[in-house]
Amino acid sequence: MNGDGTVYARRLRKCYGDRVVLGSIDLDVRSGEIVCIIGPSGSGKSTLLRCIDGLEEVDRGILRVNGEDLGFVETDTAYRALSRKEMAMQRTRIGMVFQQFNLFPNMTARENVMAGPVLVKGVAKKAAASRADSLLADVGLAGHGDHYPWQLSGGQKQRVAIARALAMDPSVMLFDEPTSALDPERVGEVLAVMKGLAERGMTMLVATHEMGFAKEVADTVLFMDGGLVVEQGPPTAVLGNPTEARTQKFLEKVL
Amino acid sequence: MDATDKPRLYRRGPLEYAAWAVCVLVAGGLAHTLVTNENYQWNVVGQYFTAPTILEGLRLTIVLTILAMLFGGILGMVIAVMRASTVRPVQLLASGYITFFRGTPVLVQLIFWFNIAALYPNIAVGIPFTGISHAVDVNVLMSATTAAIIGLSLNEAAYLAEIIRGGFASVDKGQIEAADSLGMSSRKKLFRVIIPQAMPTVVPATGNQMIGMFKETSLVSVLGVAELLQSTQLIYARTYQTIPLLIVACLWYLIMTLALSYPQSLIEKRYSLVRSRVSREAPVDPVPMDGEAR
Ligand SMILES: Nc1ncnc2c1ncn2[C@@H]1O[C@H](COP(=O)(O)OP(=O)(O)OP(=O)(O)O)[C@@H](O)[C@H]1O
Ligand SMILES: [Mg+2]
Repeated sequence: MNGDGTVYARRLRKCYGDRVVLGSIDLDVRSGEIVCIIGPSGSGKSTLLRCIDGLEEVDRGILRVNGEDLGFVETDTAYRALSRKEMAMQRTRIGMVFQQFNLFPNMTARENVMAGPVLVKGVAKKAAASRADSLLADVGLAGHGDHYPWQLSGGQKQRVAIARALAMDPSVMLFDEPTSALDPERVGEVLAVMKGLAERGMTMLVATHEMGFAKEVADTVLFMDGGLVVEQGPPTAVLGNPTEARTQKFLEKVL
Repeated sequence: MDATDKPRLYRRGPLEYAAWAVCVLVAGGLAHTLVTNENYQWNVVGQYFTAPTILEGLRLTIVLTILAMLFGGILGMVIAVMRASTVRPVQLLASGYITFFRGTPVLVQLIFWFNIAALYPNIAVGIPFTGISHAVDVNVLMSATTAAIIGLSLNEAAYLAEIIRGGFASVDKGQIEAADSLGMSSRKKLFRVIIPQAMPTVVPATGNQMIGMFKETSLVSVLGVAELLQSTQLIYARTYQTIPLLIVACLWYLIMTLALSYPQSLIEKRYSLVRSRVSREAPVDPVPMDGEAR
């Protein structure tokens, strides 16, 4: 594994123009911890995950993933941006799974999973292909390697996307509403794969509306609203016995 | 007759009958004048249709089309990539190029390149600060054919750049994020993710440009390049058989355009299939369930 699998943030701030999307976020994610992020639409869940994956530029604050400042090195007076190459290296240690899968439609399932190792790490094609096949088998898709994304169902696509992220041997996995675009009967198969991953000690941050999953798998549940973490703690506390009024109101609506 | 086998006769509107009548009248009138009007001189058309001068002109027209599309394509790709750059000055350079070359007539551009020696009589090619240099007389360098190739290519590059840019824009933003998330370099992202997915939009449009370019080459006849049109002009300047020779040129343009249209229609069909597959969410015919080896 690469990196220690921690995420650390202090007073993380992100704006779009005048609009503050993440106000002041503090995070302490241990290695192997499963964090579920819940909250109403527009509360900043996706933005937070995208910042941790380096897809969005952070305006202010500290953000360390795997113990390194993400995209920057700290100097005496400022944070100096890393080169694209160094940034890319950090990204290979962070896996991201998107709501809309974002599989490469011009590649088969196997080629999608091989894309990272071959195109980024320069792994030999043959070795990458056999690794891809075993990763596909791990997510229950043995024999689907030659299928193109358009030949797969939503649940199957999402599992390929998980395998694609895992092929880079990340130490932190980010999931942005991985089951929201799926037919209800397909949700279970993706959650099962994620549970398996959690049991194997992967650090995971999951933005989700699946309260059952959060209750069962999460070590910590983080409730966000208006770009702030309103409440956090073990699922029994946050989901079962919330102290904040906003959390209570949100849970009343979704449960 | 069994009632289940009887053909169904659908109604046709009066407009359709009227349109057919007009069609027949126009076709009949056209055929009549083509046959009876002596001035068409069909025997002259036949005589020159495969004359060596004409075929030589046709060959040059084809070569010009291919070269202009090739150079225009390469340059157009570079400009499109520059246009998509996040570096502002690079972006501005590309927009400036596109604006200029699309904003002025090709004919004027062609004449301009032909006369470029008036602006720069000599150009020196050399390595700065080494004293190694080689001066070239632009008047000699810029033959009519060279000016034609340069003019057509530079102009086409601007149009192809816009087509390629449209292709880039058609690629879902999520694709770029997925590639970024894996840590892909800009080059890999461009060649492995963006370009393959832009193809379905770019290729059919480029095919259309090529068909257009085939006819556009006739403009370079003003520079005296002996392509298809100029070849016919060379003949009728001597023989004064203007109309039959223009018919010869038109027939060749038409034949070549039709010949290009067939592969074009195949390409369009193929790529619209690719597009519909990519945009389809769930498979129409689901593949066997999980874990089953095939
Ligand atoms: N590119 C952008 N430009 C401007 N505003 C944006 C942009 N992306 C997101 N936002 C805004 O940022 C806020 C947070 O968005 P975000 O997508 O992080 O919310 P979310 O919690 O993931 O919501 P959802 O549950 O709907 O996915 C929203 O108000 C959204 O309108
Ligand atoms: Mg979201």
